[in-house]
Amino acid sequence: MPKGESLGEFEHLVLLAVLRLGVDAYGMRVRREIAERTGRDVTIGAVYATLERLEAKGLVKSQIGDSTAERGGRAKRSFHLTGAGVEAVNRAQESLLSMLEGIAFPVPGGGQ
Amino acid sequence: MKAARKPALQPPRAAEWLLLALAGDPDAEFVAGDLAENFGCLFARRGGRAACRWYVWQVVRSAPALLSLRMRSGELTGAVLRATLGVLLPLVALDRLWRFVYSQIPLKDGVERDPAMLLANILFVLLCSWAVGRQEPRTPRRAGPDVVAALVAAALAVRVAVGAAPAAYIVCLLLSAAANSFWSPRRRKLR
Repeated sequence: MPKGESLGEFEHLVLLAVLRLGVDAYGMRVRREIAERTGRDVTIGAVYATLERLEAKGLVKSQIGDSTAERGGRAKRSFHLTGAGVEAVNRAQESLLSMLEGIAFPVPGGGQ
Repeated sequence: MKAARKPALQPPRAAEWLLLALAGDPDAEFVAGDLAENFGCLFARRGGRAACRWYVWQVVRSAPALLSLRMRSGELTGAVLRATLGVLLPLVALDRLWRFVYSQIPLKDGVERDPAMLLANILFVLLCSWAVGRQEPRTPRRAGPDVVAALVAAALAVRVAVGAAPAAYIVCLLLSAAANSFWSPRRRKLR
């Protein structure tokens, strides 16, 4: 696999969040999902920058929804995984499982 | 009895303005919408002050990512290119031309700073920057980088090429370069 096609850690998290959220995956929901599940306080700007990068790589696609009053009359941009995105998530998962194989958790000596 | 005044459910204006100025044209709408939606939820749950603090903090922390996103989209590169081709290069070229003309005229005192030449400089720059940017549809937000780039290019040209020009000329040049970058025949209304 070429170097540019591998997923960064945050890209991986964003892809998984989009996958979890299904049809309701838009910037703020993705941010909240990552914050709730990982405890990381990520910014909306970082989420959009990553989603934009993933879209440029062909791993996600976006569609523009209707504007609503609670959004100040502004439109919503929802994301979903493409076939290449699903493949990338599967590949990343296989790599991770392969690396974890044979290691007993929790690994001792973490507090030293 | 006086009715209790309901606090306005509006994100802080300055922060919202900063967000719209920082983010590129398509993304600004979506990011601002997402933040407004969450601002409303926080407002109801934790009150106005906490919601405002959260909003401002999100905008400030998002600034580097939003700017890098805008740079990647090529918008800023385009603005720099348009300012170089439309303002900086024409001014430097005109300066070289005037210097050549000046070198050919005997008893030339006062000719170099002739108001007609300076006016020709401004008109030429207006024409060039219009020609370079005329295919670019502008919104007020999108014009921001163009205005800044044109101002920097004009200031650089004044420093490099024009030398000790009258202050009124410099002011006129900077204003016209900035105004021309803002205006475009294909200017589009904001959604």
